[in-house]
Amino acid sequence: MLTPFLLADPSEVTLPIAPEAAQCGFPSPAQDYPSEELSLVEHLIRDRAATYFWRAAGKSMEPVIPDGSLLVVDRGITPVPGRIVIAIVDGDFTIKRLWISDNGQVELRAENPTHPHIVLPELSEMTVWGVVTYIISPAV
Amino acid sequence: MSIALIDAESFYASCEAAFDPKLRGRPIVVLSNNDGCVVAANTLAKRIDPGIMFKPYFQVQAWANTMGVAVRSSNYELYGAVSNRIAEIISRYSAWQEVYSIDESFVGLRGTPEELEQVGRYIRRTVRQLTGVPVRVAMGRTKSLAKVAALGIKRAFPEDGVLHLGRYSDEQMSAILDSIPVTDLWGVASRSGKKLSVMNVRTARELRDLDPKWARRKFNVNMERIVIELRGEPCIPLEMVPPAAKDQLIFSRSFSKKITDKRDMEQVISLYAQRVSARLRSQGSLTSHLSSWAMAGWADEGSVPHSAQASVGLSVPTDDPITLTKAARALLPKLFPFDGVRYARAGVVLTDLRQADGVQPLALFRPEFEGRGVGQALDLINQRFTDVPVGVGLGGMKRPPGWEMKRDLLSKRCLTNWDELLVAAA
Repeated sequence: MLTPFLLADPSEVTLPIAPEAAQCGFPSPAQDYPSEELSLVEHLIRDRAATYFWRAAGKSMEPVIPDGSLLVVDRGITPVPGRIVIAIVDGDFTIKRLWISDNGQVELRAENPTHPHIVLPELSEMTVWGVVTYIISPAV
Repeated sequence: MSIALIDAESFYASCEAAFDPKLRGRPIVVLSNNDGCVVAANTLAKRIDPGIMFKPYFQVQAWANTMGVAVRSSNYELYGAVSNRIAEIISRYSAWQEVYSIDESFVGLRGTPEELEQVGRYIRRTVRQLTGVPVRVAMGRTKSLAKVAALGIKRAFPEDGVLHLGRYSDEQMSAILDSIPVTDLWGVASRSGKKLSVMNVRTARELRDLDPKWARRKFNVNMERIVIELRGEPCIPLEMVPPAAKDQLIFSRSFSKKITDKRDMEQVISLYAQRVSARLRSQGSLTSHLSSWAMAGWADEGSVPHSAQASVGLSVPTDDPITLTKAARALLPKLFPFDGVRYARAGVVLTDLRQADGVQPLALFRPEFEGRGVGQALDLINQRFTDVPVGVGLGGMKRPPGWEMKRDLLSKRCLTNWDELLVAAA
């Protein structure tokens, strides 16, 4: 078997590699307008450290949230009435729209009329885990 | 400048509770790799059994059932991701940060003790809100004093979670330090503690009042630094540079079931070689030396005591998984020299690491597979999919026969794996 040995210090035998190949033709007219391409991640995520991905299971929020949707959830946003939230009720996670009814009761409202709202006499019976900021589902 | 030590309360257990509301307010313990023994417990679990740490799982199982203690396998994917988020959030409050461990950061902060306690409360609230994990913010004029403040929080202000020692007068500080045994101090080993107690130095106050030069003569420069830091003069700097790439990489595990078959071990060693080669690529290094080993359990009645080891020098530094898998297989002929060996543990170690700085060895000397991007392709596949049986040789075989890590009580790896996302009922 051949035992390889180094001919020289490897740092001296580096071949020049050209990461930016020289353009021989007319310089790109765009080079004076440097710009990053659009990033969907940047668009959908306000704060990476506060953002979580969730999966929705169930039809109570259809048609706003199709069953199986991927949700972008932000824990850095204050949950205000009208926003869709992930709430903890009786130790379980549920996705609903946070609402305050006319008589001041906290409600977790379903979008789907065939599903009931959850009415909470006491605010303390519910914790908001995070606020849903985007709903991602395949176009079908 | 003040130093703040920001550490997570019962970090592993807090991570588990952050993503599982059923665990809130419950005692929780987390088990080691292989579900061997208890490696973490929250305050509630420690209150039920102060000696719970490091008890083997089989001893704890019945106790946990009766006492309603939640038990989880260690979910290092989750803890690592949460840890990075916490470190990132903390970095927003200071330009000086040393990430000290998975659940601790030191940061430098400017302001009066009163102002900084306000800042501390704000940091605590923000980390809690964004990650669900409670942190403590312990502050003092030096790293050693920040560690003392952390003891103070645990003892006196567990609910508040924030303390700056600067709020105390000199007399009060002396009394506080006098209530702390030297061995509770950061950086004082129990052996030094024994030596100190022979010299009649039993409390942090007595250590602080030593002559630093004398401490250096009798012990070492580290003891001198602790003495000076306890007096409020910073001399252990924040290490802000991220730790250099490791100069040795090890992947080793105990098996959930003893290995008594050569082919099983071949699969284990192939897989370990590929895991460790992935780590090598992720830190951008090349290795020139691989050794693989396997050993029978110490206290395993069924086995003959035995261990086997093989070392392979690589003529050209590489990170190629095929080359490394082949090298690791040098162990195979040395296995099972006699009957009755039951291997309990194996590992692959890479040493003689250097940075892959873009210098390519001449083609003649490159392993034949290198340059085809096999390693990068494997890394991509493993990033994209969870636990896919893709790998080199036997390392890519389907479900291994019972030796792989046991994590029966594993929570969802919901921050790192697409197919383990948290699910909420809609």
